[in-house]
Amino acid sequence: MNLLLGQILNGIATGMLYALMGLGLSLITGVLNIPNFAHGALFAIGAYFLVSVVGVLGNFWLGLFIAPLGVALLGLAIEWAGVRRLYSAGHDYQLLFTFGLALILNELIIVIWGPVGISHLPPAILRGGVDLGFTFYPKYRLFVMVMAGLLVVATWLFLEKTRYGAIMRAGIENKEMVSLLGIDIHRLFTAAFAIGAYLAGIAGALTAPIRGLSPGMGVDMLGIAFVVVALGGLGNLLGAIAAGLLIGVAQAMVAAYWTEASTAVIFAVMAAVLLVRPQGLFGIR
Amino acid sequence: MAQQKRRELLKAAAAGAAALGFPAIVRSQQKEVVILGLWDQTGAFADVGPLNDRGMRMALEERGMKILGQPIKYVTRDGATQAGTSTRRAEEAIDGEGARFMIGPWSSGVALAVSEVAKRKKVLHFFSGGTEDISGARCHRYSFQWAASPYTAAKTVVDNFMKANPKAKRWHLLVADYAFGWSVEKYIKEVGKQHGLEFVGADRHPLGEREFSNYVQKAAANRPDVVAMINFGGDAVAGAREIFNFGLTPKIPLIMAWSSGVEELIQLAPEIRENLWVGTNFYYTADTPVAKEFVKNYRAKFGTPPGYAPSAAYSMTRLMLAGFDKAKSTETQAVIQALEGIEVNDLLGRMRIDPATHQTLRPYFFLRCKPKKAMKEELDLAEVIATGDTPLPKEYAACKDIGGF
Repeated sequence: MNLLLGQILNGIATGMLYALMGLGLSLITGVLNIPNFAHGALFAIGAYFLVSVVGVLGNFWLGLFIAPLGVALLGLAIEWAGVRRLYSAGHDYQLLFTFGLALILNELIIVIWGPVGISHLPPAILRGGVDLGFTFYPKYRLFVMVMAGLLVVATWLFLEKTRYGAIMRAGIENKEMVSLLGIDIHRLFTAAFAIGAYLAGIAGALTAPIRGLSPGMGVDMLGIAFVVVALGGLGNLLGAIAAGLLIGVAQAMVAAYWTEASTAVIFAVMAAVLLVRPQGLFGIR
Repeated sequence: MAQQKRRELLKAAAAGAAALGFPAIVRSQQKEVVILGLWDQTGAFADVGPLNDRGMRMALEERGMKILGQPIKYVTRDGATQAGTSTRRAEEAIDGEGARFMIGPWSSGVALAVSEVAKRKKVLHFFSGGTEDISGARCHRYSFQWAASPYTAAKTVVDNFMKANPKAKRWHLLVADYAFGWSVEKYIKEVGKQHGLEFVGADRHPLGEREFSNYVQKAAANRPDVVAMINFGGDAVAGAREIFNFGLTPKIPLIMAWSSGVEELIQLAPEIRENLWVGTNFYYTADTPVAKEFVKNYRAKFGTPPGYAPSAAYSMTRLMLAGFDKAKSTETQAVIQALEGIEVNDLLGRMRIDPATHQTLRPYFFLRCKPKKAMKEELDLAEVIATGDTPLPKEYAACKDIGGF
């Protein structure tokens, strides 16, 4: 029983990170209508930015604040310099562009930070663990759970309760109508890409002390992010959050009894849900 | 004077003719020896392939890219850490480039498929990795195994760990779920019997696993005296990190039974390396003249000391070339016959190839990582506390007949 509770805790912590990734990807996919293959690379860059900023400033919290902003800026630049120029060229070119970009960013990581993985310890205050009664649990993981949860809620509130969030959701529903109403749709695209990049970046930064850094870390995460988006329903933000948590918890529960299947279960859950609901958990299309 | 000038002129002309005309004829007569390095540049071992390539290239360059007076043509292919891609590209290099010798790939699961290609195409194949099948159940005349037998590794690790920690009898194993993990797990359990070990848990995880919290929590729940991981590369690093995060190390020791050595250790912060015990096929402080020279040159070239990956490729290439020397031939089958039973004093010290199984008999290393304060420099990561070379006992040997050509 104690083991099970511990596993659920693990599942929620990783599930929250999956949800952050899925939320960002869903936003980009929904608003811009392109599958962003560079999302994993942005995740990795978030982690590497964190390590560099902490290396220079010696403060984890500043790093956690600055690194995702850096990734958001990078997202801004990518949209402005690349994706935007390809809107007229069509879907395939944008897809190819983000795919190529993922490879370039991955290689850039190797050029700048080297091919060898790096360990990054949590800040001193979050090192070690606490006894929760039923299990001993790392403090940093609890922090990630809370932090990622807050971010998910904040993003959700932004999209649901603010005027700009409403425009963004409208952009997902019907782009033509939004631009007919006199809204600069391109600015909307840029903003969506930057916010999506920010979420990937902060997920990466938060993950760094847990999983460490390696140039391939984004590739591992990209697949899961796409599963989360498909499972939640394309462009559906609530769905992405639910799907992220579902996958994280499913992975943890399966690992408790049948460890060999803990990766396969991600895809098994997706397949099972899509068989019953092809539009995803919360999708309408 | 004039005569001398004339003579010099003639000499120069002759030299010029030699440079232009002769060598072209000579070259056309001289057969190239084509050697394939099947090293992953993409897929799960994408980070390892370039390191393998470094080692192999260094061994060939030492010989001036020549063997027995013939030029060596070194070709590489990216196997993508996948059996299908690796076998296809190996066959393409054999048929298209005329490769008669090949080394690699890094993944033991993939190498078993490549070994079948070597057998079918009658190409000498050298491999280093944790599956025991290449020199075991699926042995044949064309494939050779460089890495220590999983038995040798398990014996070295368990015996020497228990010597230092006689009370640590409750073991929890974390095992990579593929050929190599299973092999080493089997023998750790086998050797463990002699020490009266109790295996309180043994969980297998998929290759490429990055989320270890679930496994570590299970391990912690079993309250073991020691956790032993039988996995490799990124998996081992991610596992060790999470075992530290959950507060298991440094309170209880962690063993990495089959590690790449320095390449994995430098990815871990010194805090994580505390109370970490490591079994490895190579460690860069190995006390042999060949190792010292190799490590010096490698560091000068690439900055870091070589780990298991470049060293295995380097040593396999050297062994193969030693086979050429002994055979005095570049014919595949002659080199194979020469390698069978060859004995050299090389990278790891005394190394011998068992003619009956094609297993290289060589020492396996057991290290203890140094605590941060004992490290003299950044790369002073561990000390070799023992080496072991107990070969696989006859009763376990699965290679009954190496077969003919």
